[in-house]
Amino acid sequence: MVFEWYWAGAILLGCVMAGMVLGFPVAFTFLITNIIGTCIFVVRGYSSFGEFIDGALRQIPQVVDNSPQLITSFTLSPIPMFILMGSLFFHTGIAIRVFDALDKLLGRIPGRLCFLTVVGGSLFSTLTGSTMANTAMLGSLLVPEMQRRGYNKRMSMGPILGTGGLAMIIPPSSLGVLLASIAQVDVGSLLVAGILPGFVLAGLYAGMIALQLVINPAGAPSYEVEPTTLKEKIRQVVVNIMPMGLVVFMVIGFIVLGWATPSESASFGVVGVIILAIAFRKLTWEAIKTSLIGTIRVVGMVFFILMNSTVFSQLLSLSGASRGLVQWATGFEIAPILILTIMFVVLILLGMFMDQVSMMLITVPIFYPIAVQLGYDPIWFSLIVLMSLEMSATTPPFGLLLFIMMGMVKGTTLGQVASAAAPFLLCDLILVIILVLAPELGLWLPSLMAK
Amino acid sequence: METFDRVLGKVSMALAWTACAIIPCLFTLIVIDVSIRSIGYNPPLFTSSVVEYALLYVAMFSAPYLVRIKGHVAIEALLSVMPHPLRRALAYIVYFLCGTSSLLFAYFSYQLMYYAWVDDILDIRGVDMPQWTQYLPMLIGFLFVGLEFLMYLIGRRHYYSYDLGEVKDGV
Repeated sequence: MVFEWYWAGAILLGCVMAGMVLGFPVAFTFLITNIIGTCIFVVRGYSSFGEFIDGALRQIPQVVDNSPQLITSFTLSPIPMFILMGSLFFHTGIAIRVFDALDKLLGRIPGRLCFLTVVGGSLFSTLTGSTMANTAMLGSLLVPEMQRRGYNKRMSMGPILGTGGLAMIIPPSSLGVLLASIAQVDVGSLLVAGILPGFVLAGLYAGMIALQLVINPAGAPSYEVEPTTLKEKIRQVVVNIMPMGLVVFMVIGFIVLGWATPSESASFGVVGVIILAIAFRKLTWEAIKTSLIGTIRVVGMVFFILMNSTVFSQLLSLSGASRGLVQWATGFEIAPILILTIMFVVLILLGMFMDQVSMMLITVPIFYPIAVQLGYDPIWFSLIVLMSLEMSATTPPFGLLLFIMMGMVKGTTLGQVASAAAPFLLCDLILVIILVLAPELGLWLPSLMAK
Repeated sequence: METFDRVLGKVSMALAWTACAIIPCLFTLIVIDVSIRSIGYNPPLFTSSVVEYALLYVAMFSAPYLVRIKGHVAIEALLSVMPHPLRRALAYIVYFLCGTSSLLFAYFSYQLMYYAWVDDILDIRGVDMPQWTQYLPMLIGFLFVGLEFLMYLIGRRHYYSYDLGEVKDGV
């Protein structure tokens, strides 16, 4: 039986969506869809049920054989390293030292803990590739202190939700590496492309906090802090903050200088964190064990999904669904920017119900050919996709970061968390508009690197 | 069955720790490779191939442990608002389909591994890797993932985070 592309797409995407909604673990949704898709689109030329079973048993081994194609790729090797870096920072206590130092640098300013969130979160984003780790760390360190200081829920949760997501765009970004691998764009260029937009976004967050403080100064009351001498401030910077430059240099510096590929520099990043932990006398066997098992929990889950989704992308292509959809989407006489907007909205809507990895795996095989056909730069388009992924992590009802925050601030409703995140989603949207109007913001650094 | 479940748990945990142990080996290997290259010598050819295969071993060896600790992400929104009998029935369909499809993949992985071993098939990469070493972790991983799901199927545990008592009492 031969299916039109729209039926093929509807069957494959419908199976995945139905499986996810019915509560199948995401990886197994793809695995079972692959078996169903192979039986429908690959097994051909049978006249009886026996022949069909025989054909299926001959084709399914091909599914098994194709499954590891994507994850046995060297470009994915930074993902475990970036996640391990974040875990080690957290479990060795180095992250807390950095925050304590930054805390001493900020004087008695209104909303100081909110600004500390943005500064510390941006710095931590350059040291770890995990959004979850970033949000969990910021939340566990700062929310109790903010509550103690009388910050309202909006001011205590909002900046953390916004800044936590920065790890998705500021390099090193695990999701950035994953996206580059799936979409087959240059990992190094994408990581470097995220630097400027990431810091512009951090600036927008700081501006948003200042605006919120002007509107409602009682939301984050100022309080007396122990004065810190200039000498002490310099000591804090030299002892606790400047050494972090070693890790940033070993990851981003090595890539920019061409000493190591992005895949290789991640390993140097781990070595950098270990050197710092040894220097601070914080490296314990317990911290290593906890960090490794934490890494396995995230990496194992992501890689297992990735492995089972590889064949799904191949089935989309084989059944003609990808090609048909691209031809259909680019066949209208409408402005490319409108199609871009539709793709952006689809990503945000999917993100309301789905995790980032699943979203990427479903949409990348369809969206990237369309974007390229419309003349968009794949690196720039990847930044837009990463921004939409970042936004979707804080959109209700199922934004992952919202739930992490609810877990940390007991007695909070989803509505309160989502409302606190809303102003920072607006900042994300402003950055997307800036990127559309001035693509050079994302493409300038990769072009320098290429030279 | 309790003994089997306990042994299965230990095997899943041992596989997870093996996956953990692979990660430090990976970054050490990469750092040595780049360092050798930086000082002007030729790095070993096997690094990229070994790293690529190791990523598969990490994925497959951590998979059974993740099933046991409910670490494979699932969307529970619809399930959590369903009536209890329907939710229970659906949960068992999930366990059955995930378990049997994993065991099916384990069987085909074994078949592929056997033929790759007998025919001495090589995977052409940085260095030629015996292809059966690619199927071995898939056989082990899918087999134990399947068995872990069967433990859910026979009612020893429940995968979802909503009130377990509601489901177990109804079995």
